[in-house]
Amino acid sequence: MRILIVEDDGALGSGLARILQGEGYAVELTAGGEEAVRLAMGDRFDLVILDIGLPDIDGFEVLRRLRAGAQRMPVLVLTARDTVGDRVHGLDLGADDYLAKPFAMPELTARVRALVRRSQAQAGPRIVHGPLVMDTVARRAFLSNAPLELAGREWSVLEVLLARVERVVSKDSIIQAVASWGEELSPNAIEVYVSRLRAKLEPAGIRIRTVRGFGYMLEEHREAS
Amino acid sequence: MALTLAGGVVAVYYVAIHPGTAAYDLSLVSTAVALGERIRPASGGFAFDLPTAADRVARADRFDEVYYAVRGPEGEFLAGDGDLPPPPPGTERNGDVAAYDAVRGGRKLRVVDVHVPCAGRYCTVTMAETTLKRERLARDILLSSVLPQAALAAVVLALVWFGVARGLRPLRGLSEQIRARSPRDLRPVDAAAVPDEARPLVESMNRLLGEAAEASAQQQRFLADAAHQLRTPLAGLQAHTEIALAQPVPEACRAELEQVHGATVRTARLANQLLAMARAESGARGAAGPAGVSLRQIAEEGANGWVHRALARDLDLGFELEDATVTGDAVLLGEALSNLVHNALEYTPRGGHVTVRAGPAPGGGARLEVEDDGPGIPPGERARVLERFYRAPGTAGTGSGLGLAIVREIAAAHGAALEIGEGEAGRGCRVTLRFRGVD
Repeated sequence: MRILIVEDDGALGSGLARILQGEGYAVELTAGGEEAVRLAMGDRFDLVILDIGLPDIDGFEVLRRLRAGAQRMPVLVLTARDTVGDRVHGLDLGADDYLAKPFAMPELTARVRALVRRSQAQAGPRIVHGPLVMDTVARRAFLSNAPLELAGREWSVLEVLLARVERVVSKDSIIQAVASWGEELSPNAIEVYVSRLRAKLEPAGIRIRTVRGFGYMLEEHREAS
Repeated sequence: MALTLAGGVVAVYYVAIHPGTAAYDLSLVSTAVALGERIRPASGGFAFDLPTAADRVARADRFDEVYYAVRGPEGEFLAGDGDLPPPPPGTERNGDVAAYDAVRGGRKLRVVDVHVPCAGRYCTVTMAETTLKRERLARDILLSSVLPQAALAAVVLALVWFGVARGLRPLRGLSEQIRARSPRDLRPVDAAAVPDEARPLVESMNRLLGEAAEASAQQQRFLADAAHQLRTPLAGLQAHTEIALAQPVPEACRAELEQVHGATVRTARLANQLLAMARAESGARGAAGPAGVSLRQIAEEGANGWVHRALARDLDLGFELEDATVTGDAVLLGEALSNLVHNALEYTPRGGHVTVRAGPAPGGGARLEVEDDGPGIPPGERARVLERFYRAPGTAGTGSGLGLAIVREIAAAHGAALEIGEGEAGRGCRVTLRFRGVD
């Protein structure tokens, strides 16, 4: 995994590089926007961490040029200006995630992992989550290489949770994503599907956490050491 | 104005009555002069010779009784009614004539005291009449002139009164509008409904408001820019401190590094809160238009961040959400709720419980509320914790002291009440933002 870091502040740039190298990624660091575009256009990077406040052209312009140049790698925007307008602008231009400065190291590494995972998932019809593999085309699932039986609704609920790993999902949004047009699905029904999924997944170490009064969160899978 | 009109009415009366009075006095004086010609020198002095018929003529008057007295140069009584009152001291003489009012036998008299020539000296003819016809004149003037004048004055007064009241009504509406505003609201006042005469005043006021708003906005911008500028160096500080702490460092060094890290995190939080404060205050100026905001959505949007923080601190974070809409600014309300949740997560010990509530409030209106089972805020501190930069004595953690001040600012901007109390069973802390009137 090669990550390009675009940050003009020396201390922060070197800090980011150190952190990500510690996580096992190959890292390149640049302080200028033009340079960043030049480097990224070479199809060499799997992820870009992009500061907005750059000295020559601003981060938004870098992003615009990358997307215009058909560079589709995930981009994490890093910024001191944390306004709604900026967020929307960034997302509109094609950023995948947004992190405000200053941030805690674990926050950064978690976001990077999530983006990497997402980009890998988009690479094909297979979704991988630790021991769980889902083939979305053939509609077949495997847990620790053994076939996993999932009812239709269970599959849909699991897909929704997988799309938002490490993020809370409200029961309402699960219902919206899973119910057919005109169908009424009760929150209780969702509870039932989740408890069935838990029964099937927990033995393999996959945890679905309940958020009281809100919904659920599929936890990131950590390899047992 | 009423005084002027009243004065005018009184003046009309006196202006009308004076010629009448003067004419009656003149008539008396003429008769006195005519009588004076009947004074003849006689043996040892003077005599007054008036035939009875002439006497009757002199006394003839349609309304009043007429009296006269004739005196010689020494003041000796010559003829007529002897008991006519003399002029009171200080009465002015207009040449030969002194005119005055008097009372005789309980009746009011008008008297003229006329000096007439007699043989080189002067005699005095005093003529008096009762005042009936003068009173009649006064009454006539009152009825025919003064009363209509007074009525006219009253009508004019009423017209002016209503006209002015009507003209000022838009100003009263304006003053109500201004009074109802938040003290930080610096938007211009609507000058459309104001009468022309008051428009320059309203326009000057709006210009002043505009200048005050611009000055305030500049301050906000500076504060925001300063806070932004701090963030990048702080991010570098925090990153490197965390990298260092992730290395195998000697214990003494580790303790120091953890201090540095704690201070960095606190400073970062302070910078964020300064920005939030600037946003809250500029929001209170009414810069962004308020819209309908779903309280449930506010809570849902913040949920992800809060849940992760709660997990990191081994706290159970739960939600009780129902639909409710209020008018306001979604970003600011999100900021306010976030501050309350952060406080609860910060100050509740590991293993504790925090609940976020959004929806209709029991007893009417709507609410955003956070309850925890931590140490709570003692009643004596509840007012002070709302002050900027105040942290209750003994408070641990990385707070900036601005959190509740920001919430208070945002509550005020939304016309919401901020209540601090205990949680369930009298333990912990419950902070509620209560909104009037659900949409």
